[in-house]
Amino acid sequence: MKFKCILNGWAPNVKAQAEELNSFMNSFLGNGANPASTILFYANHEDRHSLPGLVPTECAEFVRIDRCQPETILEALQRIEDKEDTSLYLFPAGFAGAELAVRWAFRQKGSSLVQVEQVAPREGCLIAKKKAYADHVLAAFRLTRQPFCISPANGSVDRLPIAARDNLQIIEHDLTGLREDAFARDSQRIPAEQAKDLGAGKFLVVGGRGLGSKEHVKQLKDVAAAMGAEFGISRPVALNAWGPMQWLIGVSGTIARPDVCIAAGVSGAAAFYAGIEKSKIIIAINSDPQARIIKAADVAIIDDYKTVMDELLKILKPIKPAI
Amino acid sequence: MKILVCFKAAPNVEMLLEEDWVINNELQVDTSFVRNDLGSYEESALEMALKLSDASDDLGIPLELNALTVDGSGATPILKTLSALRFATVVRIQPRNNLLFQPTAVASIISQYIRQHALQDVVLLGRQSDIGENAKTPLLAAEMLGWPCITRATRIEPADKKHLIVTHQVDDGYAREKVRMPCVISVGDAPCTYLRKPTLRDRLDYGKKDIEVLTMEDFQLPAETEMLTGLEILHHERAGVVIEGKSPAEKAKVLYEEHLKPVLSGKEVKR
Ligand SMILES: Cc1cc2nc3c(=O)[nH]c(=O)nc-3n(C[C@H](O)[C@H](O)[C@H](O)COP(=O)(O)OP(=O)(O)OC[C@H]3O[C@@H](n4cnc5c(N)ncnc54)[C@H](O)[C@@H]3O)c2cc1C
Repeated sequence: MKFKCILNGWAPNVKAQAEELNSFMNSFLGNGANPASTILFYANHEDRHSLPGLVPTECAEFVRIDRCQPETILEALQRIEDKEDTSLYLFPAGFAGAELAVRWAFRQKGSSLVQVEQVAPREGCLIAKKKAYADHVLAAFRLTRQPFCISPANGSVDRLPIAARDNLQIIEHDLTGLREDAFARDSQRIPAEQAKDLGAGKFLVVGGRGLGSKEHVKQLKDVAAAMGAEFGISRPVALNAWGPMQWLIGVSGTIARPDVCIAAGVSGAAAFYAGIEKSKIIIAINSDPQARIIKAADVAIIDDYKTVMDELLKILKPIKPAI
Repeated sequence: MKILVCFKAAPNVEMLLEEDWVINNELQVDTSFVRNDLGSYEESALEMALKLSDASDDLGIPLELNALTVDGSGATPILKTLSALRFATVVRIQPRNNLLFQPTAVASIISQYIRQHALQDVVLLGRQSDIGENAKTPLLAAEMLGWPCITRATRIEPADKKHLIVTHQVDDGYAREKVRMPCVISVGDAPCTYLRKPTLRDRLDYGKKDIEVLTMEDFQLPAETEMLTGLEILHHERAGVVIEGKSPAEKAKVLYEEHLKPVLSGKEVKR
């Protein structure tokens, strides 16, 4: 099955995206068994030299465009892929990847699935699995019309570093000036408040709706910092603006892989749990013995989270005076 | 400016117990006995539309809010609430069968409705429904209409009669852009967008209005190219050892001694 990876060199996390695609390919598409190449979009001449290090396949096409808007990328793809017989397009897991997969499949009269956990090529079709029912269920789909356009689920695979290649075959395209009539103008970037890789720490404390207020979120974050832990929040906490969206843990945010995770005042909904299930040890603190998180944790304390954390602070203070 | 918000009511599956998770012969989980709530992204879309309407009023830009659902009659209470919140038209299209995993069909119905029944300037949708989780409907609707699409919007403000200012999530944070209409906007994780409640007075004055119901006779359905072939319930069980103790202090001590001390002292942790 001939396939292509599509990467957006504009994305600040393009390296992570490329490593994830590399891992996804290796896990499901047989290492080197299928003819594969990569289409990489970029904007600035200065970025050109770093592109080969991002290519997870033997061949690559580097496409220079003006704007990173999906509309522009789709139009550029249309130009270069016009007469291609690609069976499968693999888009990255980020926001833009999922959008491009669906829209590209529509334009190519193919089929698409996003937030995909696993794929398996079959004769004339592709079997792909993704979560449904608020992440309680794994649903299998048969994609019947080629090209199949797939975007993996956030954090569905570990990153696999890209091996350096001396014999990379490169085709260059310059498609700058492609689309004059941009529908979105005066674009202003607002960088994320926390650029740090939240998922990479060894110790994570997460606060849920049970914290009850913005002030309590700040208090728990301070305790986490003093213990040397990263701090994350559940979706209702972010939606209440008790903490920034960049701290979100779960399918819509960060999939963390710490050694130890303390989940305080979270019920353990599946869409949240996906963000901590790769932890080696999960400790739940919840006042409700029936909360789903209790059974899904290794260790649990059934009590008011604040009293427990206050007591924990009393123990830690003499050991860690910074608290 | 005409704004159409498309939404879907979804069963609150967090209310299901472990034993309720059973897959039936029609490849579905029976959720008929749990309460229907607004999907979380759709709720944000509806509130963002109301906020946009308030702000447009302040600027003297005329704006009409409309709502559409492709769903069974379970959505009626929500549609009544939207009437009470002064949505000009609230429409329900009754599908012939369950379209949970058929985003192409839903997007096609939405785009046909807009083309043939009620042309709009902006279509607002949640980026993903809570149960189907296809995350495709807004994108497909945009493609079918031939309109551009802004994804993961977190804030929409009026600019003038032909443009909106949309803040949306991108891979490295947010982008704030002036967007020309017509367009499709898919709503992402937007803080402070819980749907407001109508006043009692508005419930009485507007909430009783009839809801327009259309049948599938008016619509053609495309063939789905992604077929659901199986469902598998995911279980997330661990040891779940509960730390017992007479007081929170005692429990905290056990937590520290047995579980946190090794971590804080830098020992390697094994699962
Ligand atoms: C498509 C989709 C994507 C989603 N993505 C995410 C995501 O990425 N991340 C995410 O978090 N959610 C996500 N959600 C939402 C998710 O389904 C849940 O709604 C959410 O995780 C619930 O958050 P919570 O546990 O903080 O709140 P709740 O479910 O309200 O739980 C609060 C808990 O706090 C406990 N509590 C209350 N007071 C105290 C106290 N004083 N001490 C101790 N415990 C207390 C309660 O017993 C309860 O168990 C998503 C949903 C959908 C449909």
